[in-house]
Amino acid sequence: MTTKAPQGMAVPAAVSEGGAGGKSVEGVPEPTYEWMGLSAEWGTRVKPGEHGLRIGDLNVGIYGEVPEVWEDQTRRPRGALPRPGVPPLPYNLRSKHQMWADSAANLYEEAIQRRWIPATEVPWDSLKPLPDDVERAMCQVCTELMQYANTEIEIITYWQDQMSYGYYEVKQFLATATFDCARFIEALRKRALGNGGGLGVESRGLVNRMILESRGGWTESVAYLYLVRGTFMMQVLRGLLNAAHNDAERMIFAKAIEDWSRHLTYGYDHLKYSVSHQSGEASIMQTLLSLGEVMMAAELEESTMRPALAIVLGGGIAGGRTIGMETFLHLVGDFVRNYLSVCEWLGVPRAEMLHPMLKKYLEY
Amino acid sequence: MPQFPSLDWFRKVRDVYNSDTSLHKGGGGACHTNAAFRVNGQAYLIAFEGQKIGDIRAASTDELKDVDFVIEMPDDVWKAMIRNVKEHGKADMRYTLNSIDLQQEDGIAHSPTDDQYRQDLFYRYNQNFQDFFDASARVETTFG
Repeated sequence: MTTKAPQGMAVPAAVSEGGAGGKSVEGVPEPTYEWMGLSAEWGTRVKPGEHGLRIGDLNVGIYGEVPEVWEDQTRRPRGALPRPGVPPLPYNLRSKHQMWADSAANLYEEAIQRRWIPATEVPWDSLKPLPDDVERAMCQVCTELMQYANTEIEIITYWQDQMSYGYYEVKQFLATATFDCARFIEALRKRALGNGGGLGVESRGLVNRMILESRGGWTESVAYLYLVRGTFMMQVLRGLLNAAHNDAERMIFAKAIEDWSRHLTYGYDHLKYSVSHQSGEASIMQTLLSLGEVMMAAELEESTMRPALAIVLGGGIAGGRTIGMETFLHLVGDFVRNYLSVCEWLGVPRAEMLHPMLKKYLEY
Repeated sequence: MPQFPSLDWFRKVRDVYNSDTSLHKGGGGACHTNAAFRVNGQAYLIAFEGQKIGDIRAASTDELKDVDFVIEMPDDVWKAMIRNVKEHGKADMRYTLNSIDLQQEDGIAHSPTDDQYRQDLFYRYNQNFQDFFDASARVETTFG
């Protein structure tokens, strides 16, 4: 028997009593449930552990099988049944060594849990007028760091598009990394526009360009983005936290340090995986780094980050010429020492071949 | 009144930290690490477990190889840091773990096994460790 819906009711316009006492929509074909029996592995019942239910905990049975090569060029989630006839998509990174890091799943969880909100959690009312030279330098540093973060978003998303779904943990983590970058850009912009200043001049961006033009594979981009630029950026963030003028800056840089520590952990972990699982990778890394060091050294010489940071660290132009520049040089020296230490840990020692323009900073 | 450094002092600070979530500025619960603080030759093992700090105990040098990283600095710097926290309610910019790490020639955090991944936890969870020491502002302290 057909019933008419009361006037004004949204869909369904007409329903009929179903055979089993329910109602079915008139004119709609009977659904089939042939797909219901189709699963590569059914009966999985993952339980939350001490730290909740994390994506790493889901790696049980076939769902935890992470192959060395993932031939499937579709969006099929790992562990789902393939459907014949789905056209391939350009997922060009299909080998584990091209993106994997064991830490990716945990880093994803960590990023989700340790999120922060610049709009409401940064104490913006702690911003107070600074001397003009310091405010200008601070705003210049913010401007350059925004470009660092823009670059990171662009290179991650370029490659993320090409990463196969067999290694979804990495794609998940990188999604959080791009969000971290977006949030950092937001916080920096708010800092620059919130204290009587404004944005400074665009960076020439030698290293940004090097990162964005690294098209030999994600691993190459990781070497430039995290091992070269990232290791330097971490020192910059630490220096800025140390020189914070107020609680707003203190929070922004403290949080950024934690965010970028995750990025670097992924980056170093991936490079380590790649070097130890792919024959010849260590040698390739040597070549890449010898090129990367040249660009990094050139940027350190000519970038406006150098004088701007010196002024911030020195508390003004006068201090920037003395203690500020001295602190900056020491900061760069720490970067180079950390860089060499990580290279050694990776099995790609650079101490003997370090570019002279970087080596000179070891004096500080 | 607990004396710094002592097991009693670290446990008192833990109790303060665990009892007031407003002290937790380090973000969400993902902070799982076993760290050691080494003061004047004595090491204290501290288990960070999400939003809480679990077991704290004195440890031998041999046991340090099992921790993710060790924070170590000269005795007078430790004491100056604790005094500074007490005076300001939290570390001022000269006495945060980050600042002290930058000021010390070889830094203050190291992995006993030279494991880069484990050492990086010092930076990933830095604010949690800072929160812990900032909680010591609420503990009346004497110095040995």
